[in-house]
Amino acid sequence: MSIDAKSWASKYKSLTNNDETIQAMGKYYTCRFLFDMGDRQILVDMHDGKVKDIDTEPGPLDAYDFALRASPQTWREFARPVPRPMFHGIWAASFREDLKLEGNLLVLMQNLRNFTVQFELLRQCGVPV
Amino acid sequence: MAKHSPVTGRYVTIDVDGSEYKVFYLHNGEGQPLICQHTAGCHNHQWRGLLEDEEITRDYNVIAYDLPRHGKSDPPHNWEWWKEEYKLTADHYVNFIVKLCDALELKDPIFMGSSFGGNVALQLALRRPDRFKAVIPVEAADYAPGFFLDWWRHPHANAAQVCGSGVWDLMAPQSPDMDRWLTWFYYTQGSEAFKGDLHFYSVDHDLRDELANIDGRRCPVVMMTGTYDYLTPPEATENTARQIKGGVYIEMEDIGHFPMSENYPLFKVYLKEALRIIKERKG
Repeated sequence: MSIDAKSWASKYKSLTNNDETIQAMGKYYTCRFLFDMGDRQILVDMHDGKVKDIDTEPGPLDAYDFALRASPQTWREFARPVPRPMFHGIWAASFREDLKLEGNLLVLMQNLRNFTVQFELLRQCGVPV
Repeated sequence: MAKHSPVTGRYVTIDVDGSEYKVFYLHNGEGQPLICQHTAGCHNHQWRGLLEDEEITRDYNVIAYDLPRHGKSDPPHNWEWWKEEYKLTADHYVNFIVKLCDALELKDPIFMGSSFGGNVALQLALRRPDRFKAVIPVEAADYAPGFFLDWWRHPHANAAQVCGSGVWDLMAPQSPDMDRWLTWFYYTQGSEAFKGDLHFYSVDHDLRDELANIDGRRCPVVMMTGTYDYLTPPEATENTARQIKGGVYIEMEDIGHFPMSENYPLFKVYLKEALRIIKERKG
């Protein structure tokens, strides 16, 4: 069952902003990234460890630093409470499944600790596809 | 009353291919020597569960060392290592392990290593079946390309966090948070060596044409890989073991690329089986 994108964004924002692991080292976690889920794009704007905005209908001119692109099926696998092998992280899925990492990956690497934690919050809130 | 661990640490100085290394190792137990290699860019605390396991150390002399440039084992003391990029080779790695076993006077040791330690276990079985009773390559394969990357020490990113979080999803989501974060913590400490280690792991180690020359009947090879390992997936290990005479493959459910470190109680179930097989074959 597809989750309403607006309410999903609100939940993801709340989970991120209240996550102790992210907030313990949240200062300077500032970047913009795109979740490309095939049927839907999500643009997350992070500022000092907090979600500044989640755009569930980004346009072609809305800029981001890096993007994660995969099929809706792969995103649904990411969002299982306990993902199956090879869907349990961005490196696993980019080595073995259809996830593509694009854009300025240096920004991803500069923020990798917090991004990795935030990505796994999808296991708690699901994905809107 | 102080809570002391039975594990003790010592240094031993050895010469390997002209490099003088002061090697740090942890030790506990008596009986059959079981010498353990940590993963690339890490150190011997990955074996903390095994080192303190009374059931194993009752019959096994467990030794876990830090490879030079890792943990408490310094880079070489007799030449200016900082003027050269570190790139570990199979030759030097094998020579180091044999020299260390000789220095510690280990008789018929079992060698166990994970990831790049597992790959060198295969190298030992190929090159020095006379020196080892058996090998246990964990998360290993004949060839493991793809990880010799500039990201591990890029000056524009926090290399400690890149290494710690870059290997995060090599672990299984089922593994306990504490153990996964300890493994993450170890990885924040090894970023200067990680890439050079991976030169061996992903570039210099290539046994695709050599597996038929490993005699697992003379030196048993018991390979074990976790189902959440994306780098050396189970099928890669199984395919390797199948090509080794007498090779054994054990699949480990719901665990990843750092099994001894991310979930020791689960790893132990499989380790006991590996040790049982070796005992059955070699006494």
